[in-house]
Amino acid sequence: MAQKEQGSLLTSISEALLLQRAGQGDSAAFEALFYNHYDRVYGLLFRLVGNRGEAEELAQEVFLKLYHERFLAGREHNVGAWLYRVATNSGYNAIRSRRRRLQRNMALLPDPTDEPQDPAAVLAQKETQTRVRETLAALPPRDGQLLLLRQMGLSYAELAEICGVAPGSVGTLLRRAAQSFRDAYEARQNKTET
Amino acid sequence: MKQNDEIQDVMEQLSALAPAKTDAPQSAHTAFAQLQNQIESRKPSPIVTFRRYLTMSRRKYALSGLAFVLLLVIAFSLPPVRAAASDFLGIFRVQKFAAISVSPQQLALLERIADQGLYPGEFQSVEDPGPSQEVSSLDEAAARTGNTLYTASALGAPSQVRVSGAGSGRLIVDLDNARSILDTAGVDPQLLPDSLEGAEVDVTIYPAVEQRWDDGTTLLQTSSPLIDYPEDVDPSVLGEALLQVLGMSPREARRLASSIDWSSTLLLPVPEDLATFSEVTINGTSALALNSIEGGESSLIWQRDGTIFVLAGSQGVEALREIAKSVQ
Repeated sequence: MAQKEQGSLLTSISEALLLQRAGQGDSAAFEALFYNHYDRVYGLLFRLVGNRGEAEELAQEVFLKLYHERFLAGREHNVGAWLYRVATNSGYNAIRSRRRRLQRNMALLPDPTDEPQDPAAVLAQKETQTRVRETLAALPPRDGQLLLLRQMGLSYAELAEICGVAPGSVGTLLRRAAQSFRDAYEARQNKTET
Repeated sequence: MKQNDEIQDVMEQLSALAPAKTDAPQSAHTAFAQLQNQIESRKPSPIVTFRRYLTMSRRKYALSGLAFVLLLVIAFSLPPVRAAASDFLGIFRVQKFAAISVSPQQLALLERIADQGLYPGEFQSVEDPGPSQEVSSLDEAAARTGNTLYTASALGAPSQVRVSGAGSGRLIVDLDNARSILDTAGVDPQLLPDSLEGAEVDVTIYPAVEQRWDDGTTLLQTSSPLIDYPEDVDPSVLGEALLQVLGMSPREARRLASSIDWSSTLLLPVPEDLATFSEVTINGTSALALNSIEGGESSLIWQRDGTIFVLAGSQGVEALREIAKSVQ
């Protein structure tokens, strides 16, 4: 077995034990799960909602759901897969709620930074981010999740587990998702320019 | 363009979304401390927990209030009736109830779907009915609700009368989420038409009066909820999707969906490990009887002249029927 696969197997086994203990009320085990996944869950949510405060709040809700989730005993559970799926859904729900409330002015608000930046460059960057984010939000959640998690550095094997697909099909699904993203992005760009 | 180059291009575009230095989250240590505070603050007090345990152990499967009706309508019912093109007056009013047995596994799946944040849309509360309030008499309840009230004369005067206000809300359908729910539940997501996206479903519930007797029997009375929604929906197709989500096979769902009058029937999912159901008659009116499996409370649900009645008690269905016959 390759070294990386061994590492993944050990991680899965230890997380399964942590999950089991957390389900039995072991707060240290739940804390360990939290530290294992918090940064990535936050990273995924930030990429979706584009706002630090909102991403932190949503991340709290995701882990609160994990705390209350009653995983069936005796079955294997991939905590990471569960967390990223819940985080993706939470992020998409937040975007759609926000869209319906017509609160889409985030692109025009300057980021408070220590270094002075060229306002035009900042605005251009914000517009790009908004366009990318809106394009992502228009994709089916599974496609958006696949693309974001791959961008965050997850391997095909990890993506297969998280998205609940056969490992051999990740490449094809990724290509299709990328194609959908490109088409939607170009359509959005053409609409803006006309 | 080579396919791998295409993926790489998209990856570069998505890298624009990565958090900058200023967007780094608070430390995991701080975040965990906040989470612990939330967990502690949401823990119910021992007294509330005990009361909830009592309720759960009695397995009281009765329509205990408007919240249940509203949740049922919103969560399970996509009433597919064609509205008048020029008139959006709701024309769906409950006249009949149809029960469907749902396995614990299917309910657990639906709960997991909900826990994962997948909802069929965004629900906006327009008017909150608020908590129920005790009133001194049936006359006062009638004055506050503006309704003609009925009581179970076989039981004598109730020992307590409570009134709940009217409420309304709107569900804005999120088609992607709704289809994801179907997909996750193993149902063909394409059963839901594209025209459902953004559809607005308005639900209105009316004031309710609950009468309670010393032996624990309760009688709830409220006007049938009103549901307004846009046209262009095939009734039996949505009903078929709903039945499949509740666990029916595609063939069974199709057959049953085509035989139900979706313009006037409210579908009630009944957990098969909690209650059995049957159809009974009360003074010539069809009613749904729910019998608790664990020997707890039973309930009768029926509709008469636009008013829904729910009678619940520990007497058993036949005894409840006799009491229901005296409701006048």
